[in-house]
Amino acid sequence: MYTTYVVTRISNVLIMDRRKFLKQSSLASSLFFVPSFVRAFEEVASNKLGYKRLVIIQLSGGNDGLNTVIPYRNDLYYKERPSLAIKEKDIIKLNDEVGLNPSLKPLKKLYDKGYLSIINNVGYPNPVRSHFRSMDIWQTATNSNEYSQSGWLGRYLDNFGKQPYSAIEIDESLSLAMKGENVNAIATQDAKSFYNLSKDPYFKNLSKHKNDAHLSEHNLGYLYKSMIAAESSAKYIFETSKTYSSLQEYPNNKFGKQLKTTAQFINSGLKTKVFYTALGGFDTHVNQINTQKRLLSQYADGIEAFVQDLITNNTFKNTLILTFSEFGRRVKQNASIGTDHGTANNIFVIGENLKKQGFYNNMASLSDLDDNGDLKFEIDFRTIYATVLNKWLEVDDKKVLNRSFTQLDFI
Amino acid sequence: METKNIQHLYRRIGFGILPVETYKLSSKSKKVIINNLFTASKKVTPLEVDTSEIKEIFRSMVDIKKIDPDTRRKIQKISRKKQIEFNIAWINRLSNTPEILREKMVLFWANHFVCEDNSITYIQQFNNTLRKHALGNFKDFVNAISKEAAMTKYLNTKQNKKQKPNENFARELMELFTLGVGHYSENDIKESAKAFTGYSHNLQGEFVFRKRTHHEGDKTFFGKKGNFTGEDIIEIILEQKQCAKFICEKLYRYFVNETIDEKHISAMVNVFYKDYNIERVMRFMLSSEWFYDEKNIGTKIKSPIELLVGLKQTVPTTFKNPKQLIYIQRLLGQVLLKPPNVSGWKGGKNWIDSNTIVLRLKLPSMLLNNAYISKLKQNEASESVNTEKELFKRKMGNRFNVKTNWKYFNNQFKNVKIDAIENHLIACQINEGTKAYLSSLKKVSKQEYCIQLMSLPEYQMC
Repeated sequence: MYTTYVVTRISNVLIMDRRKFLKQSSLASSLFFVPSFVRAFEEVASNKLGYKRLVIIQLSGGNDGLNTVIPYRNDLYYKERPSLAIKEKDIIKLNDEVGLNPSLKPLKKLYDKGYLSIINNVGYPNPVRSHFRSMDIWQTATNSNEYSQSGWLGRYLDNFGKQPYSAIEIDESLSLAMKGENVNAIATQDAKSFYNLSKDPYFKNLSKHKNDAHLSEHNLGYLYKSMIAAESSAKYIFETSKTYSSLQEYPNNKFGKQLKTTAQFINSGLKTKVFYTALGGFDTHVNQINTQKRLLSQYADGIEAFVQDLITNNTFKNTLILTFSEFGRRVKQNASIGTDHGTANNIFVIGENLKKQGFYNNMASLSDLDDNGDLKFEIDFRTIYATVLNKWLEVDDKKVLNRSFTQLDFI
Repeated sequence: METKNIQHLYRRIGFGILPVETYKLSSKSKKVIINNLFTASKKVTPLEVDTSEIKEIFRSMVDIKKIDPDTRRKIQKISRKKQIEFNIAWINRLSNTPEILREKMVLFWANHFVCEDNSITYIQQFNNTLRKHALGNFKDFVNAISKEAAMTKYLNTKQNKKQKPNENFARELMELFTLGVGHYSENDIKESAKAFTGYSHNLQGEFVFRKRTHHEGDKTFFGKKGNFTGEDIIEIILEQKQCAKFICEKLYRYFVNETIDEKHISAMVNVFYKDYNIERVMRFMLSSEWFYDEKNIGTKIKSPIELLVGLKQTVPTTFKNPKQLIYIQRLLGQVLLKPPNVSGWKGGKNWIDSNTIVLRLKLPSMLLNNAYISKLKQNEASESVNTEKELFKRKMGNRFNVKTNWKYFNNQFKNVKIDAIENHLIACQINEGTKAYLSSLKKVSKQEYCIQLMSLPEYQMC
């Protein structure tokens, strides 16, 4: 799939007028050296010919969706949350019924421009209220009683990614979502230190001296192969990303830095289809208001800078940003002015060419709850994955999700 | 016993063996060596960190049924700190213990009966249950696990009540702990879940059987019908030969080879199925000739813990900031006490990705040698190593704050010629090209050569 993509792009380029062709090729060190010839055009192609990228943002700990997207006209909301409900006057109103948490002002701007789609009430059957289990379910896209050792984006890599760096997690270690059966994504927070770690000439010499005959499919051969792949990925990511530096200012926190790195990777033309990053701390059992306020501000301010950075560099139109959390929280507040683990939650889809801007569907019912007092989900999160895979990344979603899901029409 | 076989044995039932000990054993027979291993592991030494602070809180509580949020938070805070302490204590135990076989078995079982809990008291107790039964009777083991506080929490047996059964434990008991997927029916799960209703624990972590929530009445399980208890269910499961096979295969993949040899498995099953005595089947496996087959030597990829403990064993290393040791585990993909999910770490090639391979190769030099790996050519002067090393130290050598004991290493390798060090550190054949590269380099000192060897992909094998 990937290979044919590249071939089409090269052939597109070849139809280009000859003068332009020569002008652009002269940037490459040698016109007749095939790899740089290909690379020169891939760089052009990746920005100009619609190289689509997906950015996933995980809000870890279970963000309270009901205090994020708020049904401020619903009496039940105030009744179940006497000291936790956000006052109507503070809510950023999106329409006559629903508003946003006061920390999400930047999202209102995106909403007004039609860059935001809110999908309400997303979950899965037989919900699990354990953080790590529910996170696994979201990351592996399995049923709640199944276990998988590979993640959905990892399986995307297995089937359609060409290189480990086709998917990058901006973090110190790799999430299950990004582990495939055969190929794993790259995790790095800092392209330079990853490169530094890998570039000891000792390892380079080992790669050079590697004797193929003795390194077949065995474990040792696998180690050598991984070493060589890592070296070249680290080098590629570092050398490509350093060609671009952003002028955009980002909030000075970890999440802001992660988004800045992501934008740098995207805007430098790195051939990466999927980026993954996380913001943690949403497990608000106690005194929720201030914690969530702080975290949602970090989220929204980061996103605002990120989107602006992409717009400036003309890459926003080819970037889709998906934000999720492993579960929502209970409708009724608990005794510590917080909330306990719940079920369904809202998802934010941010992008320029959304089909369904604003609200994708109605808010969840607060009166028709399950036995635990939790929301009953309406949209299976895997239908969202299927849609993104099929309509955005343009691959066969069934190969990644191992079964067929209904397609939604938000993109 | 041949040196090569002694080393193989110790790489699998421990974390390798150093020259002094190897020479000592080489005059002994295989039988004596294996006997000594089991004798040394007869004793069970619990691993404990001081949890009196939490116990004191429990004692002072008026109503043990209700913990107020403040107390709960306080306990959680202490627990988090103590879990780190326990993790470090466990690594230290693995690096230095006479009961090496038992400890390696604990590591194996911890990835079989996978469990995680925030409470240090429960998880410490669970960990010591693994230790107690590691070489004992498998039936007693499964029963003990089913009654552990941490496990009844982890797999929701606590919430498994006759009015509202929770099948989580029953399912994993068969799928992951005893039979393997596909060797039971969904109905077996439903019925056996009823038998485990009422399993719970008290605040102190002791097993409590809640009669009121237990399902009294007939259950149909593997074609048998009766008012079965949880213990009956385990009894019936172990009657299936598949259970013995499942465990033997798992032992084989961990200790012998990731690729199963049916002949060897069936020999092991014949031993194990008789009485489910773990020690006996381990003794059989380690004594068999096939255990020392060429194709089993140096063909496994070390787990992160095997890598770390092996390093620590060769060059004793103390972390001045223990959190860094946890950090390294996280980067390598295996934090003790924090399994990814109930099916545990997959192992083998799954340890390896672009990040972990780079870190694994660079880690020995970063921990032990200021991040420096000598690339000095035969004709270059040895002194330049020192200036280069200084340079590395300033650049990336300070990343980990550790104290290393190279004196210990040098004593261990005193009577080993520099060319022969690789026979002690590397388990597999070194790739031809790599060998050629190594021989083009100067052997500056035993320490520098040791680092060069530890920085090879070959060092990742055991």
